[in-house]
Amino acid sequence: MGLGLLASRTLKTSRVLSSQYSRFRPIVTKPGLQSPDASAAAPATQPEPTPPPPKKPVGGARVHFTNPDDALEVFVDGFPVKIPKGMTVLQACEIAGVDIPRFCYHGRLSIAGNCRMCLVEVEKSPKPVASCAMPALPGMKIKTDTPLAKKAREGVMEFLLMNHPLDCPICDQGGECDLQDQSMAFGSDRGRFTEMKRSVVDKNLGPLVKTVMTRCIQCTRCVRFATEVAGVQDLGMLGRGSGEEIGTYVEKLMTSELSGNVIDICPVGALTSKPFAFKARNWELKGTETIDVTDAVGSNIRIDSRGPEVMRILPRLNEDINEEWISDKTRFCYDGLKRQRLNDPMIRDANGRFKAVSWRDALAVVAEVALQVKPEEIVGIAGKLSDAESMMALKDLLNNMGSNNVWCEGTGTSPNADLRYKYLMNSSIAGLEKADVFLLVGTQPRVEAAMVNARIRKTVRASNAKVAYIGPPTEFNYDCQHLGTGPQTLIEIAEGRHSFCSAISNAKNPAIIVGAGLFERDDKDAIFAAVEAIAKNGNVIRPDWNGFNVLLLNAAQAAALDLGLVPESSNSIESAKFLYLMGADDVNLDKVPADAFVVYQGHHGDQSVYRANVILPSAAFSEKEGTYENTEGCSQQTLPAVPTVGDARDDWKIIRALSEVAGIRLPYDTLGAIRSRMRTVAPNLLNTDEIEPAAFGPSLSQDCSQKISSTPFKAAVENFYMTDSITRASKIMAQCSAMLLKK
Amino acid sequence: MAGFVQRVGQSLVRAHRPPQVSWKRCCSSDALMELETKPGEVGMVSGIPEQQLKRRVIIYSPARTASQQGSGKVGKWKINFLSTHKWENPLMGWTSTGDPYANVGEAGLEFDSEEAAKAFAEKYGWEYQVKKRHTPLLKPKSYADNFKWKGPPTAEE
Repeated sequence: MGLGLLASRTLKTSRVLSSQYSRFRPIVTKPGLQSPDASAAAPATQPEPTPPPPKKPVGGARVHFTNPDDALEVFVDGFPVKIPKGMTVLQACEIAGVDIPRFCYHGRLSIAGNCRMCLVEVEKSPKPVASCAMPALPGMKIKTDTPLAKKAREGVMEFLLMNHPLDCPICDQGGECDLQDQSMAFGSDRGRFTEMKRSVVDKNLGPLVKTVMTRCIQCTRCVRFATEVAGVQDLGMLGRGSGEEIGTYVEKLMTSELSGNVIDICPVGALTSKPFAFKARNWELKGTETIDVTDAVGSNIRIDSRGPEVMRILPRLNEDINEEWISDKTRFCYDGLKRQRLNDPMIRDANGRFKAVSWRDALAVVAEVALQVKPEEIVGIAGKLSDAESMMALKDLLNNMGSNNVWCEGTGTSPNADLRYKYLMNSSIAGLEKADVFLLVGTQPRVEAAMVNARIRKTVRASNAKVAYIGPPTEFNYDCQHLGTGPQTLIEIAEGRHSFCSAISNAKNPAIIVGAGLFERDDKDAIFAAVEAIAKNGNVIRPDWNGFNVLLLNAAQAAALDLGLVPESSNSIESAKFLYLMGADDVNLDKVPADAFVVYQGHHGDQSVYRANVILPSAAFSEKEGTYENTEGCSQQTLPAVPTVGDARDDWKIIRALSEVAGIRLPYDTLGAIRSRMRTVAPNLLNTDEIEPAAFGPSLSQDCSQKISSTPFKAAVENFYMTDSITRASKIMAQCSAMLLKK
Repeated sequence: MAGFVQRVGQSLVRAHRPPQVSWKRCCSSDALMELETKPGEVGMVSGIPEQQLKRRVIIYSPARTASQQGSGKVGKWKINFLSTHKWENPLMGWTSTGDPYANVGEAGLEFDSEEAAKAFAEKYGWEYQVKKRHTPLLKPKSYADNFKWKGPPTAEE
């Protein structure tokens, strides 16, 4: 169709339509431009075409009918749809498969109803109704694509665009902006606003969130996110009318571990990522859906890369784990992947300087030393970020050499790997929402697992759940009763002498969360026995509810314990002659004998490299396929997003190659083969995206004769922003620690 | 031409490995696809280099972009070729790749259903793994919740 023809058709139809809808102002409506053919055919009296079949819910959304009697039926664009009682009109439309434009409404925040973009027509209603705030009533006839609704939304859009700058070409949100998207459908091609656009002074929210407040459309999503999810009352709305602006009132940084999420929920470019500012446009990026490894939650993320470089990390929906949020550490640790990386295999020479060598030479040296020492002097330690495949390979290699001194850092000297319930979050992260009393023992989930903390906060907000805490003084973002600082309080509760006992025994679903920081204590068994006594007295473990939870610290821990990475003797590191560190940077290497040969296999030149004799470079989590099990026992797999740097290789491949050089060849050559080896040890690691619950409860555990010491609990994580080799190498995380942890 | 046919024939014989893979009808309305084809056969006769026929791919359904509320692109299925064989070209600084599938999965292939994506991968003889699709759970929400009584005020503040 030629342009002239198109134009003449459009002119014709708009004239026809304007006479038809003469009660509206005929300025912005241009249905002819949206679909010239359909609207050209419309004025002619044609028989109604057969309606299309009903659509599926938006985004494949699931609806849970708690009680079938509570279902009610509404009509969306003529189609009947069954919805649970209490839903809004907007949700009914979503179930009917109709996407309603919105700015202020967000499924995980409270309803504000102030943007008015979601206006729909409801039969027998005199005016268009804001669908996000209107409860759906039985038999309601909702019309979402009528001229009235469209006209109303166009009016709203015109008001929103009045003060919105036209700087999309230099806006970081450009290309993934809700305002941009929706103005394609409801925006006018010209403005009628002749005054000056308003401008607002930018705020400084810290090193993570960049603000361009002139772009703000006052949807208040960030305010609601901060108060409801993040639990910091920092943001608010100031002023009235055109003087209305989002701010902190007094200049203040946003000190929340979830602050990065306001970047995602901002429907315009008012809040964008400061580290990502002007680095890339989002349509240049390739998204890889993978898993986060900076904590034991295993948040689902999407790594956006451009060429060989990770540009940013975004959350991805998983209702069971992280909903749609991720912590700041997860989101902004990516620049650590580009710094301090180990490129080549290196051997320390006589002068103590590292010299780059070929893989062949490096492996030959390592194999030669490993074969010379006695088997009981060989020790292997897996790091915080190790995947299950490489830990399996490491264990197999050391076992083939005759040593069983292999463990994962952070699990302590004698971990309880026999009973899975002793190291897993048994009620699952999503299951925490059912709990009504929480007892946090030696754990501060806010810094240990920010997403778990967000769940607890959600539960506290939704059902006024009670939270009590035993540990060093700290700050929570929900009401929390501080019972004590050490095991003394724990014993009091276990023996029924504490006032909190009644709260646990009266609760319907009590949840006890024990921190994995306690694994490092010498009296760990006694503490766990005390916690189990509390669980027994409070009826915490029942067939229908298991409230006994251990909150792990690192991504590798659960898989390591599942695979049985348990050291044979607790003081093996003192007598080690050959120490194989697979990304282990947080082990105390002071006790390693001076003549021990230390091999460091890892991706970052971090703490352990200073002691290493040989460095073998490996791939980071963004560059390899690996299985990780999170703290609730759900195994998930990472996918490679970018190529490895330099000459680095996958961890398990390095170990496999080393075994070949050492003459004890491991029997797997492919990822599939090593995974089937894992299946023989821990089959649950291969059931990805499924929680494998612990099979046996505490009925099997033995009595503990250990004496509990009175040393108070220590904080497991000192600095939320820097916990592993990637985050320690990250500049952004360093800035955060400097600015946000300042007291 | 004769050489080509011979090569295809050879590769057919050589790659006649999979007894475990079932004979399956490819589900597509395309008339050509109505023919019975063995898994991997289409890949073999399509002239794709042989080393590309033994790939591992991931079939997944991309999640909604966190910063966009629209659902137009949600629910599609894609193939991830796990292609990270990239480097920065030293001459211009551009990204080079040695993988012919580097840009196919992201931009070129899109399926309406998981089955269609699986059938496609089978047709080309790729070993595939399907990632579970995560969908949102809708819970009743109400504007009136903003004004609900949430218990007595806390002592602090």
